[in-house]
Amino acid sequence: MIYMIHINNLSYRYPDGTLVLDSVSMDVHKGEFVAIAGKNGSGKSTLLRHMNGLMLPSEGSVVVKGMDTIDSSFILNIRQIAGMVFQDPQSQFIGMTLEEDVAFGPENLGLPQEDIRKRVDMSLQDVGMQEYKHQTPGSLSGGQKQKVALASILAMKPEIILFDEVTSMLDPYSRGEILGLITQLHENGTTIVYVTHRLEELVHADRLIVMENGRITHNGYPRVILSQGNVVDSGFEFPPVIELAKRLCDSGFIDPACFPLSREKLMEALCQLM
Amino acid sequence: MDDLFLSFVPVNSILHRLDPRTKIIGLMLASICILKASSFMEITLIMFVFLILLFICHLPVMHFVRSVRPMLLFFAILFLVQLFFTEGTVIFSFKWLSVSYEGLVLGTIITLRFVFLLLFASLLTATTSPSRITAGIESFLRLLPLKHIGISSHDFAMMMSLSIYFAPLLYDNFRSLRDAQISRGLDIKKEPVKAIFSISIPLVATSVRRVEEVAMAMESRCYSGIGRTSMYVMEFRRMDYLFYLLYFFIFSFFTMPYFKGYIII
Ligand SMILES: Nc1ncnc2c1ncn2[C@@H]1O[C@H](COP(=O)(O)OP(=O)(O)O)[C@@H](O)[C@H]1O
Ligand SMILES: [Mg+2]
Repeated sequence: MIYMIHINNLSYRYPDGTLVLDSVSMDVHKGEFVAIAGKNGSGKSTLLRHMNGLMLPSEGSVVVKGMDTIDSSFILNIRQIAGMVFQDPQSQFIGMTLEEDVAFGPENLGLPQEDIRKRVDMSLQDVGMQEYKHQTPGSLSGGQKQKVALASILAMKPEIILFDEVTSMLDPYSRGEILGLITQLHENGTTIVYVTHRLEELVHADRLIVMENGRITHNGYPRVILSQGNVVDSGFEFPPVIELAKRLCDSGFIDPACFPLSREKLMEALCQLM
Repeated sequence: MDDLFLSFVPVNSILHRLDPRTKIIGLMLASICILKASSFMEITLIMFVFLILLFICHLPVMHFVRSVRPMLLFFAILFLVQLFFTEGTVIFSFKWLSVSYEGLVLGTIITLRFVFLLLFASLLTATTSPSRITAGIESFLRLLPLKHIGISSHDFAMMMSLSIYFAPLLYDNFRSLRDAQISRGLDIKKEPVKAIFSISIPLVATSVRRVEEVAMAMESRCYSGIGRTSMYVMEFRRMDYLFYLLYFFIFSFFTMPYFKGYIII
């Protein structure tokens, strides 16, 4: 397998001395969908921000497609390859109209004008926001803003997209739409790293990493990790579906190997039982 | 964000499509004419030009009313000061206050001058996106010998565009804090000093955080300030040349010496 991101013994300390990441090692492979989950303050955002060089390791190393983030001559290259979408739909909007916002990245890459326009149109089309391109963000809903944020990253033609709790400020409907776009990107070959504290969003992940106090406590198949008892200690709330599945699993009704992560799968499992 | 003072309103019109440089020069020339205007005839002419531009810019009149509204108090004071403190033929007096004919004329003209300056400025900002204005100004700055005093026109333009990126964000932030404090029972009119503190202190704190967030979003998208290109190319088209021709006529009309003598009669 090809490593897209290779993190080795990464530790990060804020200038005030707080240790936020403690010897973290992990890899992301090409085309993978990795979910990172954990309580608030467990260090998920800090870890993610190391993956495109927004933060640099205090110890250890982060290598993106063979380029070490500590080498400043690689940094723009790394950021083009690994784009990031943030949590707050409002404060990642740069420019006055949607079109200007999406153009910001390609403009920074120094592309000629026609290329920029082509990329802007294409990426807005990909997220279904083409018709709004001359509007100001003031008129958009949170979900629409996140779509534009995604478009503005797509316009840079990244190979990896890092998502930092992008659905946490959205209503359920927009959340579904954004997740749909992300899975579609994954199917088309984009590598996805998806930070969340909602377990029900893990359905699409190939792999789940659980963080606690700046360390990785679990790293493996989502269904295997969730069917084990001890994730509960990591302190997230289980959505009712997984809670129920877990209890059925613990009492031996469901085989842990086919632990259901979604409502549909649980339904199937229950039907089989009956 | 949409009712921001001097904000950009993206629609398609002749004025929107003009090169930003044409519009910036137009605003400069208009300002000179406005500041020189000293008779009702000239003010009427300026108003006429504004109405034509208003007609072709496809923007609601309300947008311009909104840009003038925040300044109403200023205009009122300006007018009253001229009205009461200009000496001349008294046309009306009440106790120790007296209004002169000259004061009425001067007050009206001076106030209208400021109103039109503001209106023309908002014509520029409403029809030109900030990044285009910045690009236009940068290309003018490039002509100046700024390098010799240690400023590159590029740094300057970058500074301007950064403040343009951050301004709406800060304004938005201000508004939500103000609303939050009002909903907690703050009465801005009754306790103005308390209001200033209870809004400005959290405003600084949250603004720092949000500016950091925006800066991070910019960095994430490869912003380094150098080697940037633009989605907009600046080029003069036929319409731009037509506008320069109009500028020439209108401007020389205003600055022609006999014109002044003619209208005073
Ligand atoms: N500027 C900072 N200085 C010191 N500590 C910080 C700073 N920013 C965040 N932290 C701490 O780092 C820890 C991890 O934060 P973060 O990576 O944002 O967690 P998560 O995204 O999982 O909620 C938190 O405990 C937080 O208090
Ligand atoms: Mg976070």
